Amino acid sequence: MAKTLFEWDYSDYPGAKTYPHLFKPIQIGNLMVPNRIKYAATEDNLNGHDGFVTDAGVEYMRQRAIGVVGGLCFMQGVYMDEKRQGQGYVGQAAAWDDKFIPGLKRIAEAIHEQKAVAGFQLMDCGRVGAVEVDYCHGPSAVPQRLRIFKPVEEMTNADVKTVVQQHIDAAKRGIEAGFDIMEISGIVGYLISNFISSYTNRRTDEYGGDIRGRMQAVVEIIQGVKEACGPDIPVGIRLCSEELLDDVRGNTPEESMETYKIAEEAGADYISCTLGWQESIYPVISRDIPMGNWIHLAKRAKAHVNIPIQMAYRLFKPGLPNEKIGAGELDIWEICRSMIADPHMPKKVAEGREEEIRHCVACNLCLARLFRDAPMTCYINPVCAHEWQEEFANPKPAEEEKEVMIVGAGPAGLECAYTAARRGHEVHVYDKRDVIGGTLNEAKNAPYGDDELWTCVEYQQAMCKQAGVNFHLGTEVTDDLIEEEMPDAVVLATGPVYSKIEAPGGDGDKIVNLLDVMNGKVEVGETVVMYGNRKPGIGGALHLAKQGKKVTIVGKEKSAGFDVNPSFKWRYMIYMRQNGITVYNDCDIEEVTDEGVIVRSYDGVRWPVKCDTVVISDRGPNESLKKTVQSEGIELFVIGDALIPRNLSSAVHDGYRIGIRL
Amino acid sequence: MPVDTEKEISKMHKTLHSTQNEIGKTYYRWRQVAIEFAGEDTKPLDVALRAAEVFGKDIGKSLLPRMNWLKGEEGFLMILARSLAGLWNTEGGMAIVEKGENPGEIFIKCTRDPWPTWAKEYGAPMEEVALCRERMYQAILEDVGFFMNVPLKIELQKAISRGEGETVMKLYKTE
Repeated sequence: MAKTLFEWDYSDYPGAKTYPHLFKPIQIGNLMVPNRIKYAATEDNLNGHDGFVTDAGVEYMRQRAIGVVGGLCFMQGVYMDEKRQGQGYVGQAAAWDDKFIPGLKRIAEAIHEQKAVAGFQLMDCGRVGAVEVDYCHGPSAVPQRLRIFKPVEEMTNADVKTVVQQHIDAAKRGIEAGFDIMEISGIVGYLISNFISSYTNRRTDEYGGDIRGRMQAVVEIIQGVKEACGPDIPVGIRLCSEELLDDVRGNTPEESMETYKIAEEAGADYISCTLGWQESIYPVISRDIPMGNWIHLAKRAKAHVNIPIQMAYRLFKPGLPNEKIGAGELDIWEICRSMIADPHMPKKVAEGREEEIRHCVACNLCLARLFRDAPMTCYINPVCAHEWQEEFANPKPAEEEKEVMIVGAGPAGLECAYTAARRGHEVHVYDKRDVIGGTLNEAKNAPYGDDELWTCVEYQQAMCKQAGVNFHLGTEVTDDLIEEEMPDAVVLATGPVYSKIEAPGGDGDKIVNLLDVMNGKVEVGETVVMYGNRKPGIGGALHLAKQGKKVTIVGKEKSAGFDVNPSFKWRYMIYMRQNGITVYNDCDIEEVTDEGVIVRSYDGVRWPVKCDTVVISDRGPNESLKKTVQSEGIELFVIGDALIPRNLSSAVHDGYRIGIRL
Repeated sequence: MPVDTEKEISKMHKTLHSTQNEIGKTYYRWRQVAIEFAGEDTKPLDVALRAAEVFGKDIGKSLLPRMNWLKGEEGFLMILARSLAGLWNTEGGMAIVEKGENPGEIFIKCTRDPWPTWAKEYGAPMEEVALCRERMYQAILEDVGFFMNVPLKIELQKAISRGEGETVMKLYKTE
């Protein structure tokens, strides 16, 4: 009889009626899990650089444990070797010695306190490891494609056996720490996947050769860990269903499915279906990939094995996983980034509070931070990784209730509004537009998934409603209005001011601003120069190119999209190329002529670019109203693009930080 | 002020050539330093060949992100050969790529090469120019070949610096 750790009854949860398949129990090995929800192991760089668990790491996990409402909650993968070749992230937790057990135990307990199933993951990062040492290890010393990774040392036969034992020993430590389910990570270029792939495994001993040979180390690890875990602790494995490495002669999809069968034969109790490597040239999880794009791979996996299949990858909303589980094409809905953005996301689904979910916008800032040795952060969730700081995560009610005037109903203003209102302030949001959302109303029209950014506003709207924020839409705030209302505090979230072209002809008829273009207020000719090579300029250029316009970007930054995080920027570079957009970086417009513009590079070279329209996307801070507020002695804050034009993330983070300060 | 296209292009052209020239000369200035530091017991050719190897290794790494098997073996070899020819052209040479008669065999032909001129100016032997080019390309192929799991070779067949009018290198897959 399968063991049940915690009793959960979802009959009173409205979400369990809407999504019945998500809240059905499932047996994994000899463990009965009350629902089909899993917070998948995600690195967060929140632990000590010596591998010890920290308060930040524990509280981060506690919030995710609350979120899974009794489901599976996996802590990040631990590295298992003292030499630290398997360590892929500076703040990765370790389990190479018993001294780490007390810290790991804190995480298991935090998860158990929420009546969730605590998952432990074993993760040797292989060729993407060695973040703190000079050489990583792998089955063969295949050179790195990406320079950010360390050179690979080929493992000896004895090294392979040592790594197998390290997995077993670390699993034992996980069990001693109190974890209920074990997982072996074999994805995205980590050691297990290095052994499996024909791209990285050129060995001629028993750990190389055909797919069975390349799986040999994995089989030994699964069998060893199974034995260590005994019958009551299930052992699963994350495996690539498609490596997306055909350009470097990686495994075929058929070989990948063979690995699933071999893992099942070796005793795996479930498989987490993944795809792509960090070295893959194909996008997998960025916003330009439609939701549910990869779900067919779970169905294919299920056709090859009889153990439960779990999957994440652009499944941000409950509808599709619920449907696929119901159809028998998936068993467990894995969630990573969606629970970074909103740790309580599935709980809100269960409680029928979906409008209160802060949705991930698939920007991959979280990944970009990890690769740059920075602690986890979230583009859209200011509290992420600050869960342990009580005053930041759960700010106290205001000591003095104030009347707060927020000028601007964009993401910065809205975030500030509900945060301040929750703390007891009387908050009034003004906007000269008739609608909320600020410049995101236009930005969401950019192609390649930017419409998803709007979910941020939807969430903020729901929060404002709940917190009792007062809206005055269609009302432009003037000096007179401020003097009339005399609020206790004013927050200027007015958005940016579009720059001007400080050059002859810079005030001509062919010059328009990006907002007017994106909302269709102005006509744009067939040939366009986009002035500004930051994110708004790129989004606008792609929007116009999709309409068949010939677009040239001219911008002062040394590289286009320098304000876009690197995990997403490469996508834009490809899209600009595909859409025939010419980009002149490190350049300015010297003159606007009847025929177009004259571009001047940083070193003085000049050339003409023909165009019918010049669109200004560069922006500057908005100084309006500041003097009036200051002269009246009113407490003043400036946030978002009004302070310094940046991005949605900065707007949200600014808004929250001022909301808790007011 | 209207753009004088001829003036702008000629300005850029001069800048490009000056840059190429300066890079070549900088190499030979550093070569002189390296030989002095290496001491009398070390042959200058060995120093130069070691430098070629280091250059090749690094250039090989930078080529890896562009290597692609999706166009098959022939396509891969062609992309690789074009990258090697492109390298020469960036330095101020004129190199082209030609398919050989046998499958998996490509020739890189350079008909104009600034390196012998620089070598002469700094008193370096002509043979060193030829051997360094060959060693550098061999070092590039080492990583690229292992990365793509294709055994590759490159051989110098003719060299401008040997007075043979053009430099010809044969790139091929070994069995």
